Amino acid sequence: MSAPALIGLFLFVAMPLFGGVYWSFTNKRLISPLPTEYIGFQNYQNLLGLLVVRVAPEIDEATGQIQMNLEGNPVYPRTRTVIRGDPAYKGYRYWFTADILGQRYVVIARDPTFLRSLINTFLFVLVIVPGQGGLALIMALLVNQRLRGRYVFRTIYFSPVVTSMAVLAIVWTFLYNPDQGLINRFLSAITFGRLQPDWLVSADSALLAIIILSAWQAAGFQMIIFLAGLQGIPQSLYEAAQIDGGNTWQQFRHVTIPQLRNTTIFVIISTTILAFRLFTQVDVMTKGGPQDATVTVVFHAVDTGFRQQKIGYGSAVTVLFFIIVVSIALMQRKLLRSDIELE
Amino acid sequence: MAAVELSSLHKPERKQRSRRRSLTLIIDYSIMIALAAFFLFPIVFMVVSSFKPEKVIFDDLKTIVWAFIPREITFENFSSVFRRVPFGQFMFNSTFIVLATVSAGLVVNSMIAFALARLRWKGKTLVLSLVIALSIVPLDAIVVPLLVLVNEFPWIDGSIGWLDSLHVQIVPFIADAFSIFLFYQFFIGIPRDFDEAAYIDGGSPFAIYRRIIVPLSRPVFATVAILQALFLWSSYLWPLLATRGEASRPLTVGITSFYGQDVKWAQILAFASMITIPVLILFLLFQKWFVQSVAASGLKG
Amino acid sequence: MNRTLRYLTPILILLLLFTFAAITPAQDMAELELWYHGGTQEENDETRAQVDRFNAMQDAIQVNFVELAGSLVAGTGYNDAVNAAAVAGDLPCILDLDGPNLYNYAWAGFLAPLDDYMSDELRADILPSLIDQGLYNGKIYAMGQYDSGLALVGRVSLLEEAGVRIPTSIDDAWTLDEFNDALASLKALESVQYAIDLKMNYGAGEWYTYAFSPVVQGFGGDLIDRDTLSAEGVLNGPEAVAAMEWIRSLFENGYATLTPPDDNEFINGNAAMGFLGHWMATGYYEAFGDDMVVLPVVNFGARQATGMGSWAWSITTQCENPDAAWAFMEFMLAPDEILSITNVNAAVPGRFSALAMSDLFGEGGRMNIFVQQLESGIAIPRPITPGYPAVTSAFFTAMDNIIKGGDIQTELDAAVDKIEQDIADNDGYPVQG
Repeated sequence: MSAPALIGLFLFVAMPLFGGVYWSFTNKRLISPLPTEYIGFQNYQNLLGLLVVRVAPEIDEATGQIQMNLEGNPVYPRTRTVIRGDPAYKGYRYWFTADILGQRYVVIARDPTFLRSLINTFLFVLVIVPGQGGLALIMALLVNQRLRGRYVFRTIYFSPVVTSMAVLAIVWTFLYNPDQGLINRFLSAITFGRLQPDWLVSADSALLAIIILSAWQAAGFQMIIFLAGLQGIPQSLYEAAQIDGGNTWQQFRHVTIPQLRNTTIFVIISTTILAFRLFTQVDVMTKGGPQDATVTVVFHAVDTGFRQQKIGYGSAVTVLFFIIVVSIALMQRKLLRSDIELE
Repeated sequence: MAAVELSSLHKPERKQRSRRRSLTLIIDYSIMIALAAFFLFPIVFMVVSSFKPEKVIFDDLKTIVWAFIPREITFENFSSVFRRVPFGQFMFNSTFIVLATVSAGLVVNSMIAFALARLRWKGKTLVLSLVIALSIVPLDAIVVPLLVLVNEFPWIDGSIGWLDSLHVQIVPFIADAFSIFLFYQFFIGIPRDFDEAAYIDGGSPFAIYRRIIVPLSRPVFATVAILQALFLWSSYLWPLLATRGEASRPLTVGITSFYGQDVKWAQILAFASMITIPVLILFLLFQKWFVQSVAASGLKG
Repeated sequence: MNRTLRYLTPILILLLLFTFAAITPAQDMAELELWYHGGTQEENDETRAQVDRFNAMQDAIQVNFVELAGSLVAGTGYNDAVNAAAVAGDLPCILDLDGPNLYNYAWAGFLAPLDDYMSDELRADILPSLIDQGLYNGKIYAMGQYDSGLALVGRVSLLEEAGVRIPTSIDDAWTLDEFNDALASLKALESVQYAIDLKMNYGAGEWYTYAFSPVVQGFGGDLIDRDTLSAEGVLNGPEAVAAMEWIRSLFENGYATLTPPDDNEFINGNAAMGFLGHWMATGYYEAFGDDMVVLPVVNFGARQATGMGSWAWSITTQCENPDAAWAFMEFMLAPDEILSITNVNAAVPGRFSALAMSDLFGEGGRMNIFVQQLESGIAIPRPITPGYPAVTSAFFTAMDNIIKGGDIQTELDAAVDKIEQDIADNDGYPVQG
């Protein structure tokens, strides 16, 4: 009975995954006439290579003093000169600079985009899981009341879920247009033109724009799950709480929240996994830019492995990604001590 | 005197309570309406604008209100969509892919979940852990190896390579780890007494699956079907890479023809509306049933 | 478990049904698949009509036209599909490709050389720029029906109102200072919102490289050193930095917008001037008639430079019937067919004989500036290297970051690093075969 599903999973999920693991140790390229070679952990080293370099200020040769610029700050050599000057730094690229206690440190990495994609992805997950989950819970509580029109509201909140993300991302690109988009027209009207974010155009707001769209698109789904959870709570518990004189907040605190525990765990785990997969909206709207502000791990895997044709390298991204997500999922299950553990 | 005092004390309190109730009602409705506006405005804008000439869309954007009012109705955008692309073919492809994958998937995934949840066999725990681990693999991340792989597979007609077909968008997605996981969770919750009674009657495991488990599990079947259908309906990267011709491309890839060099926003919005509205209507019709299914399926945890 | 079979039967039936969809009836005539990138709607319609004409005029070869989506704005859609097909060994017979990508495909061995098919007569009649564009390692791998044209476009009425001199040939093109002044005066006009539409709606993609690498060249930089193929000191040198500073200043000064909603900012009258890619020329002319004027590209100081190269037809090595494919290409390269497409998309006809027949491009024609730019050598081909995909992606990513606020030197350095890394990853792209 298990055979068809096992064959399917093996052929179409496990085999590509194993293929990816195997390729991640090679320099396989998409369409190259060059032979594929085994290169060990080179791809992984290239992904994770990170060094912090202390840079000394330039010394004025005539005076032996530290050179100062017009504002009275020390002059530092160009990072590129430093990197190119030392063979140990070969293959490294500038990532960012940090001045700590009067010392200048330059962080260099072999693939700053990958490291940035890790940060962005975690940031996205950390914001979207509580944010979207909280929004979904509020909506579920609202439409769970015996209010007139609750079915209409449920449908409205759920409607973005049934629309394809590729389509929505195109429509939202239009809405986010800083000059002519609907969103900024609206913000302009309520803030008298003071709040006009550049949304996808600026590195400061692009990820936020993606987060808002993502929460908007998916919150209705979590709402339905919470709603299902709420409807599973026996009415008698609320009645008992009322008899004990509990007000609405106390009922929520002492009945709803504990009763929704399993639902919440499910929502957290599933949202986390889905959030880690962030790809389509980034691909359609920003292609990871500007300045890597919206690059995500899956996007980087597709971008390097497919568009830049470095299958081996892209596979290594996938493998690392898989390891990270599996370990987080395991950790979450352990922390939340979920009932949906293995038997 | 005392009684009068008491009742006069009660009245304002009761009034206060009902006033408070209507206040919370007003607050609730305001929040709900504000949220509804937030969730609906892109879709309303999309649908309303799809009936406007392109130039009018931009003019109307200058005032927020007009952006949502179809003051000049044209069907030109829709007829352009039908002229430019075989919309019917795309719609057929998408629908066929979803129906075929979901119906096959329900059978295949529920059977393995049954075996995992109700039968004793060697390596069961291992398989279960693997299934859960595989449910985490995002499709987008394995597209390249999958592409190379399916290109080597033979098909029933003797040809090699599955690309540019409907089945390349169906067969790989029938077995789905996440669906198995959902089925599994539901099945372990069904009391075992039923099976044991059936075993005593001499039933095979398969008979138990078919006669006991399936009839008891309608909600989870509905939930899995809906989730898989939504996922397939919106898949994008895989069909983009694995198909080329109009004969096999689904709606989501079809719309990118309009988002090419020559962006015609009015046509994009018309196309997007035509993809969205049928599904919305389906949801509207079945939404009560859907919520109940999800509630009963144990998706809530 | 035997009864499992009963439940597998529906699946098998389903699978069989797909099979019927997959089987195509055998035919005697040669069937060739053709992939087309999808340009403007008018261009698509005309190309499709050309294929229909070819199919109708003979019955030995049937060309199946497949239009694949999204080349410029979606950025990567067409190239994604081609790469996916290349890796799967599923390329069509006839492939439409954007000029500079051919070096990578040719290097990888996916394109068949066309030299043996091309008669000397044909070869001599084709614009030298098209030959250059199609050449890799001494062989021709692709041939377009037309070359592209990139210039500026303005409206006489607005330019006169702003008191700006109107250059008439490439010899009296604006200098950088003149251009800056012109932009300032045009922006000040009441009737427009800003000075120039730079087509940023195409997004970070080939458009940036095509339209803005000539600016870098105009300032004295380039994408890579054309001899050593190295980018160090070229793409991140002071000249390239100055070019990027100037490009960014256009947005900072409000002369241009980063986010035009669509292709029509010039037609709508929002922008006083536009970058003119040939594919927009017809629509512009319809909108403004004689008020529209094609202006030569600006002389930025170091040199005058503009883009060239366009989509071209090629035959893949996976084609089983290259002779039939060439028969189709030969048909497409006939002067009549060339003109029928260039009359629609206003690209520069790819053959001298076609050029001579063209009202648009002939001496004194409205689009003659494009021809002047190609013939005088100020149109510069994009780098001829198999590493081109990495070069262009590094450049347009850097430029996108810069105009959206990134540090210029840092971004250009990063672009150089990416280009060099790509060369190292490919062992320096050794010539094959």
